[in-house]
Amino acid sequence: MNQSNNNNLNEPQKRKYVLSRRLDRAFLELYNIYAFVARFFKEVFLPPYEFKEIIKQCYEVGVRSLPLVSVTAFIIGIVFTNQSRPSLADFGATALLPALISVAIIRAIGPLVTAIITSGRVGSSIGAEIGSMRVTEQIDAMEVSATNPFKFLVVSRVLATTFMIPALTMYTTLLALLGGYLNVHQNEQTTLITFFSQVFEAITFLDIVASSVKSVLFGFTIGMVGCYKGYNSSKGTEGVGKAANTSVVTAMFLIFVEELLVMQVINAVRGI
Amino acid sequence: MKKINPNINRDKKAIEIRGLQKAFDDFEVLKGVDLDLYQGENLVVLGRSGTGKSVLIKIISGLLKADSGIVNVLGKDVCCLTSKEMDALRLKIGFSFQNSALYDSMTVKENLEFPLVRHAKHMTQKERDDLIDVILDAVGLAQTIDQMPSELSGGQRKRIGIARTLILRPEIMLYDEPTAGLDPITCIDINNLINEVQRRFNTSSIIITHDLTCARAVGDRLVMLLDGQFQRDGTFEEVFNSEDKRVKAFYNYNFTD
Amino acid sequence: MGTAENKRSVLVGIFVLLAITILLVGIFTLGGQQKRFSSSITLTAVFDDVGGLKPGNNVWFSGVKIGTVKNISLFGSSQVLVTLNVEESVQEYIRENAVARISSESFIGNKNIVIEGGTQEASPVEDGARIMAENPLDTDALIEKLQENNNNLVAITGNLKQLTGNLVKGQGTIGRLLTDSTMADDLGAMVANLQRTSQNSVAASRSLNQFTSKLNTPGGLANQVLTDTTVYSQLRQSMAQLQEATNSAAALTENLRETSTRLNNENNALGVLLQDEEFARNLQNTMQNLETSSQKFDENMEALQSNILFRGFFRRRDKEEAKQQEQQQEQQNQ
Repeated sequence: MNQSNNNNLNEPQKRKYVLSRRLDRAFLELYNIYAFVARFFKEVFLPPYEFKEIIKQCYEVGVRSLPLVSVTAFIIGIVFTNQSRPSLADFGATALLPALISVAIIRAIGPLVTAIITSGRVGSSIGAEIGSMRVTEQIDAMEVSATNPFKFLVVSRVLATTFMIPALTMYTTLLALLGGYLNVHQNEQTTLITFFSQVFEAITFLDIVASSVKSVLFGFTIGMVGCYKGYNSSKGTEGVGKAANTSVVTAMFLIFVEELLVMQVINAVRGI
Repeated sequence: MKKINPNINRDKKAIEIRGLQKAFDDFEVLKGVDLDLYQGENLVVLGRSGTGKSVLIKIISGLLKADSGIVNVLGKDVCCLTSKEMDALRLKIGFSFQNSALYDSMTVKENLEFPLVRHAKHMTQKERDDLIDVILDAVGLAQTIDQMPSELSGGQRKRIGIARTLILRPEIMLYDEPTAGLDPITCIDINNLINEVQRRFNTSSIIITHDLTCARAVGDRLVMLLDGQFQRDGTFEEVFNSEDKRVKAFYNYNFTD
Repeated sequence: MGTAENKRSVLVGIFVLLAITILLVGIFTLGGQQKRFSSSITLTAVFDDVGGLKPGNNVWFSGVKIGTVKNISLFGSSQVLVTLNVEESVQEYIRENAVARISSESFIGNKNIVIEGGTQEASPVEDGARIMAENPLDTDALIEKLQENNNNLVAITGNLKQLTGNLVKGQGTIGRLLTDSTMADDLGAMVANLQRTSQNSVAASRSLNQFTSKLNTPGGLANQVLTDTTVYSQLRQSMAQLQEATNSAAALTENLRETSTRLNNENNALGVLLQDEEFARNLQNTMQNLETSSQKFDENMEALQSNILFRGFFRRRDKEEAKQQEQQQEQQNQ
């Protein structure tokens, strides 16, 4: 690097970049993301383990998100059921509502809604918190006090989201189904047992496995994106805001991409 | 005006830097810096913002990597240490950050406990609590023990920051702009604290500042960083009695502004 | 601080426990409904066409869901081997001669397998047994058959019309013909014989086929036979008799056909035929002859079999046939 700098004094800027300034930046960013994720997988298995911090983050991500996620899920269950009724009623098939709700909620809405809400609540706070720690040199302070900030901050948070978001998804799915049940019960007088037997009739193990895998993936993504954006945030308060913002936007985008990919894979598996 | 510390050991170098270079992208910050820090000495590094003063101590503490040159800290070359060796060395270095860098999410006590829990595992909880009390007393902030950093004033934060680095009894202290953003009275408090730390813990310190009052109050020796190199080296008087225009400009700016 | 941390850990613990409980309850409910966790046995069935059946589809027995389709794989030339997971508890109710059939759960819904039939006499299926499969009627084939039936129906009604017309004209004699029990018996015996003859012919021609192919093998037993004039002449005799029998059979069939044609087509001829007692006697004779001839043919065949030189050949053939039959039976049993 030093040498290239010296060269640079004598020559115009051309030789500094492999491709171009922008492309180099993009590829460097890509490499940084790769290195960041790789570092996570390396550090997650190496001691020391920051159990206390992991528990604390689990509390933040899981327990503290529960009220918001629960209420949202319940409402979505009601609304989704209510909005689906007319199109089924056209065929005189409102009896199929539980099955429809079941498939929609367990396969897609449960994991997705949980991930979206938590990426808004948790992802942004992780981005902002780590970003501000970076900006106010708290991460450096941790490092010079010979504590691995990556392990303390990143590993604990990513683990927390990876484990807690699937757990939240269980609650979301149950509550959304209960919301759906409430609506179905009001309109079709279906009993709870009939409702749930229809719900389970409509799904397979593959659906539960796929949803679990998906929510683990979503959790990992939310934690990873928030941490990456925060950890690499630029200096200044603007950097903190940007880190919080981009971590939510990026995480949501990636969640939808993952949703699409997992759907393709699961359909391929289902087809076999 | 500070009396030069009589305990300076001129035969023993805590830090020795030779030909240190560091650049960020196109911008060369340090262009071959040489520096010696003797044991027990308070060395003030003066310079304008953006001249690479902070970069220098970040390289010393291993937060940044030098492009070239030798940085020898307590007999170890920081460029080539494993992460374990680096951590061991870092325990002997205290770093006081410009913005104190207290952990926002933790109370004062938790902040002070943070390094202890990880690096003084042999200590019982009682011993830790006692040590925290002692250190807090030393910086005069025993009453803030259960407060959050956001509830503290700038000066208090600074002192807690220093306390946190002192708790592991470092041999070298690095102060990054210790008096920046503080009122003059608080500045004096901090200056006194820096001197007291030197006396009580017999540390070798590098104090980065552009505040001449502070420099005069704490420095046994001064160096001035200009154009990526140290231009002047000596006591406060020696440096500022020189005829160098850039030094003069710095001096005048500081006292007329 | 310590207590706050404890409280946090406990809450996280409760949170995770509840989440896992929800997951487990879900899995076990699902497992209960899909009958996955109860112990099961495996049955197989071979279909010509499974019509889009998929693994995971339900298996029904007397309207009770007893399992799922576990696996579907191609089998033999173009058949499909379907493996079923069936609850162990219903094993005793499914008999060995039960039949699996592919059906639809609803008009547009999933395919499923329905097991039905089975009699109390048959023993219960065993794990891994192959049950018989009834192949689904292809809709196209069904319609084609219906068409054919329609055509036949038209022809039959046409014939019936004619016949009844004829009946009105020659009522007395027809009555006689129909009430003559001897003739009816003879007719039955004749048909039976004819059937046997043709079966034997088939067997004989197959044997001959094998035999001639063996003739081509130099040094073989058959080759040696050719050099033995005695055997050869016997063989020729048999062949001649066989030929004769076949010819007679053919002639008879021809006659029968002619007769029946006349019966239908020529009012005059019918009258003649039906009134001519001599013809009836002749017919009876013919049938008797035919019976005798086919009996003789049988005797010939037996003689052929008992011939020392041919004994080995026939024995081998019998064995093979027996074996084939066994295999067929096995396949059907499975």
